[in-house]
Amino acid sequence: MDTIIEVKGLKKYYKGTEAVKGLDLSVHKGEIFGFLGPNGAGKSTTINMLSTIIKPSEGHAKINGFDNVKEKNKVRASIGLIFQASTLDEKLTANENLKLHCKFYGVKKSLREDRIQEVLEIVDLTDKRYKIVETFSGGMKRRLEIARGLLNYPKVLFLDEPTVGLDPQTRAHLWDYILKLKEKAGITIFLTTHSMEEAEICDRVAIMDHGELIALDTPDQLKSKVGGDIIHVSTEANQAAKALIEERYEAEVTEDGEGLSFRVENGSKLLIDFVKQFDIPIKSVNLRRPTLNDVFLQLAGREIREENVSTKTSGNRNLARRGR
Amino acid sequence: MEGILAIWQRDVIKFFRDRPRILGSFAMPFMFLILFGSGMSGAMSSMMGGASPDSPLADFDFVQFMFPGIIGLTVFTTAIFSSLSVVQDKEFGYMKEILVSPISRVSIAIGKVLGGSTVAVIQGLMMLVFVPFIGVSISFLMILKLIPVMFLVAFTLSSIGLLIASTLKTSQGFQMVVQVLIFPMLFLSGAMFPLNGMPAWMNVLVKINPLTYSVDMFKKVILEPANMAPALREAMGLNLTIFHQPITFAGEIFVVAGLGVVFVVLATMKFSTMEA
Repeated sequence: MDTIIEVKGLKKYYKGTEAVKGLDLSVHKGEIFGFLGPNGAGKSTTINMLSTIIKPSEGHAKINGFDNVKEKNKVRASIGLIFQASTLDEKLTANENLKLHCKFYGVKKSLREDRIQEVLEIVDLTDKRYKIVETFSGGMKRRLEIARGLLNYPKVLFLDEPTVGLDPQTRAHLWDYILKLKEKAGITIFLTTHSMEEAEICDRVAIMDHGELIALDTPDQLKSKVGGDIIHVSTEANQAAKALIEERYEAEVTEDGEGLSFRVENGSKLLIDFVKQFDIPIKSVNLRRPTLNDVFLQLAGREIREENVSTKTSGNRNLARRGR
Repeated sequence: MEGILAIWQRDVIKFFRDRPRILGSFAMPFMFLILFGSGMSGAMSSMMGGASPDSPLADFDFVQFMFPGIIGLTVFTTAIFSSLSVVQDKEFGYMKEILVSPISRVSIAIGKVLGGSTVAVIQGLMMLVFVPFIGVSISFLMILKLIPVMFLVAFTLSSIGLLIASTLKTSQGFQMVVQVLIFPMLFLSGAMFPLNGMPAWMNVLVKINPLTYSVDMFKKVILEPANMAPALREAMGLNLTIFHQPITFAGEIFVVAGLGVVFVVLATMKFSTMEA
């Protein structure tokens, strides 16, 4: 498989603290590569080094065959970038922002009009084309920014927390387009996220913590490494229940504000017996497949982001509310 | 090339869109020219010409004297402050969009300097609306001469502005530094009063001040000192010398252009080291 990004020994330190501690990885052409980790794990620093915004302290990376330190401009021409914070000119219209971007990235004159219409359609901003960006809502600005990043049909699109602050509908719409773009133009997408849902869509996920890569694989592989199923239970007396579960199932039990969870093999069979045999009155119980959050939990010993546990699995609202 | 043009275009579009800024740009020149200039003119002419109407200095008109200086003031301040947008772009994030694009840092810096210069020329030309009120006669030919001179001066000042902007992170800091710099430069340029009979140390400062030569160019174009009585020319401080030699218009162009080249190179070098 062709590699489009090749990273070797990439390091960045700021005054004594190491933000990224020697990163090695390769990204395949055409894949969606997710960078998952808690805030401050070094995700943005990595994306900034790959996109030539900041200079690595050590090591180097090749993007589309170009060196991120020596061939900055060639790297820049091959990538699209969407930052966490807005980089739009709010005093200009959407159209002007897009046109300038075409000029900065050398999009051919004859292609500009079509491209602008195309990207505006995708993010549903066609009717706002000639409006000043200042008048846009937060979500609209984000959408415009994403549209702008696609204008030069980049070989690699870097997205730093792309869907933060978007409503679920726009988020879904955006992902549809990103997937379409990947199919159609063979674009490689490199994104950072702390959202489990977004990481699940990725072809491969790198999990990062404290500036180090702690796992890299497909979401399915990562989850199967955790294995089994997760049972979450809430009882009248959680402490006693914890001891009982540990004794009876020899499982490691983690506690949260609402109850206990533990991992078992063959959960659906076991659940029936568990409920029947459990001596302490149960308030609620549910069974789910492991999520990437469980992977992170197992590898790093804590959750990625307390309030952002996958909402895909039903009956998990307990978990989601925890920690707020 | 298109990158330079895009950067330039953005600054020009934004200038025309900002109506309050355009209106506000008349405020300072109006105050200096009409309030300060007219207020001073009586005192100035009685000091200069005395009471005698036969004296060659009876023609001295302080408002007319100030007018080229006011055009200069407008061009200088607009040009140097245009680089404020560089600091603001850093603050609001747009600088990232520019810096991560494939256009070279040199193109960005040049585009910024050209954008600031263009806006400064437009503002300088706008000051010509005062012409009917102050009794200066301006011919079309003068305007044609004025435009390249304004552009040259604006280019040098924009470069100085960009050099400052590239080293600073906040717009407050930028405004502070520029104000501290521009006021002494203005006072020592001959824009506000004739540069006659100054202490020697001040004379040195005047001669190393690039604005001195810039203001003198505007005066040479607008006031046409060649047609003046020698005594009046002297009183208006129009006999600028350097190393006791009168400096010619061409010499002034050379000095200002030279400084422009030096500062644009320094600014571009400084700007290129900036991280997004």
